[in-house]
Amino acid sequence: MIVDRLKIIVAEDSELQRLVLCSLINGLGFEAVEAEDGVEALNLVMETGAQIVISDIEMPNLDGINLTRKIRELELDHYIHVVLVTGADENEIRDEALEAGADDFITKGSSTAMLKARIRTATRLISHAAELAERSRILKEINEHIQEDLRAAATAQRQLLPDLQEDIMGFRIASAFVPSAIVSGDMFGCFPISDTKLGFYAVDVSGHGVHASLLSVAIGHLITPAYFRTQTMLNDLAPDPAALVTSLNDRFSPSDNDDYFTMFCGIVDTATGRLDYCQAGYPSPYYVDLTGATEPVGDGGFPVGMIPSATYENKIHHLDAGGALIICSDAACEAENPSHELFGNDRVRMVAATTPFAGVQDIPTHIVDALNMWRDGKPLEDDLTVVAIERKNSHDTHSQA
Amino acid sequence: MIHTAKHDSDITVIRPGVDRLTAVNAKAFKDEVTALINDGASQLIVDFQDVTFLDSSGLGALVGVLKKIGHRGDLAVAGLTTDVAQMFKICRMDRVFTTYANVDAALQKMAENQ
Repeated sequence: MIVDRLKIIVAEDSELQRLVLCSLINGLGFEAVEAEDGVEALNLVMETGAQIVISDIEMPNLDGINLTRKIRELELDHYIHVVLVTGADENEIRDEALEAGADDFITKGSSTAMLKARIRTATRLISHAAELAERSRILKEINEHIQEDLRAAATAQRQLLPDLQEDIMGFRIASAFVPSAIVSGDMFGCFPISDTKLGFYAVDVSGHGVHASLLSVAIGHLITPAYFRTQTMLNDLAPDPAALVTSLNDRFSPSDNDDYFTMFCGIVDTATGRLDYCQAGYPSPYYVDLTGATEPVGDGGFPVGMIPSATYENKIHHLDAGGALIICSDAACEAENPSHELFGNDRVRMVAATTPFAGVQDIPTHIVDALNMWRDGKPLEDDLTVVAIERKNSHDTHSQA
Repeated sequence: MIHTAKHDSDITVIRPGVDRLTAVNAKAFKDEVTALINDGASQLIVDFQDVTFLDSSGLGALVGVLKKIGHRGDLAVAGLTTDVAQMFKICRMDRVFTTYANVDAALQKMAENQ
């Protein structure tokens, strides 16, 4: 393999001195590139890719100090190491040269050993810079791979979410899903579980990021419509969402880490509007009636996967025709504005109250917008999920569309 | 990060030393309290008076500490501020942890029970 010798530009107007310097440099195993003045040297800097310049101070056209300035003005993506050749007592000139951006000096008539030492310093710096550049290139490449993988994971996660373009069984449903870091520790689902019943759930894994998203995706895969139906409709008497939550708690409690998740799940009867629900540490959703009156649904419950012996309760709420349920993960009420004030439940409730006037389809976006304003455009620190479910009025003209 | 004070009858009062116990510092909190337990502390009171906010990771760490103590001792919480109390209520943690209005009330009650 032929290794290119490192190029060193030698700028010197005296032909004799230039020849002496060049032969010394060539003798040291480098390739001297000759320049008769500063202008020629500057052109060579741009053309040859050489990273070391050894220059005389006094030269016609462009002197050593101005050559240094010009080199610095180029702002090349690699550093040019500039060594100026000065007289022994030229301290003022050296000061000026340093200001201009010179790196080092050799006194005229120095020994070969001195020249060798100066060049070695320069080459060491150059190889350090090259090493650093290579390391940052590798890191950048790895980072791009990770980002790419995360985006693919995020796409896979989104594909698990229900497609809510169309109304389901007399319900109009809208959602927003905003991960705080590409992938989300949230998950939700919504599906018919019988001819007359709609099932839904929302899950929020503690923490956020990749770790939480792995669990949220596992839960999303586990809770299929069939699983949901089997767990909640064990008897014919009434839906049993607490049985679903209990089975998940049994499944996820044994882990010896601090992972757990909160959940809200329910079954709505399309004919009667009866909602059977179970709340497991998830924030209470708001029920909004046709007039915009709101009330929280549920007063709490144990999270899932935290306490093996936890028991869960079934509760009932009624959804009037035209009424809506606004489910919102804690990322909303816990969102902080720049002065560290929480968005709070009351503000979530205020946005929820606009449902009859704004239309249920737009409520998730309105909550996202309100949080954006609250945070002055800064991204949320936790994963946000909003699910809005409206039991359509039978006289609702929209439903005919 | 935590500050501890040992009282009579071997009760240790822990102040988390942060105003927000969240994903950022939950692990450090748990590790430090776990070290106390490993050193033999078994009657603990966590003083939340200066903690304005507790997120799900913070709660997970607190429950992790409770599990660590198990039947060997007791972990009570005191001085819950509004948002922290709301978090406890919605997760039913008021049924898992003994809660007191403040550290003095907790100290008195726990000493009586010994």
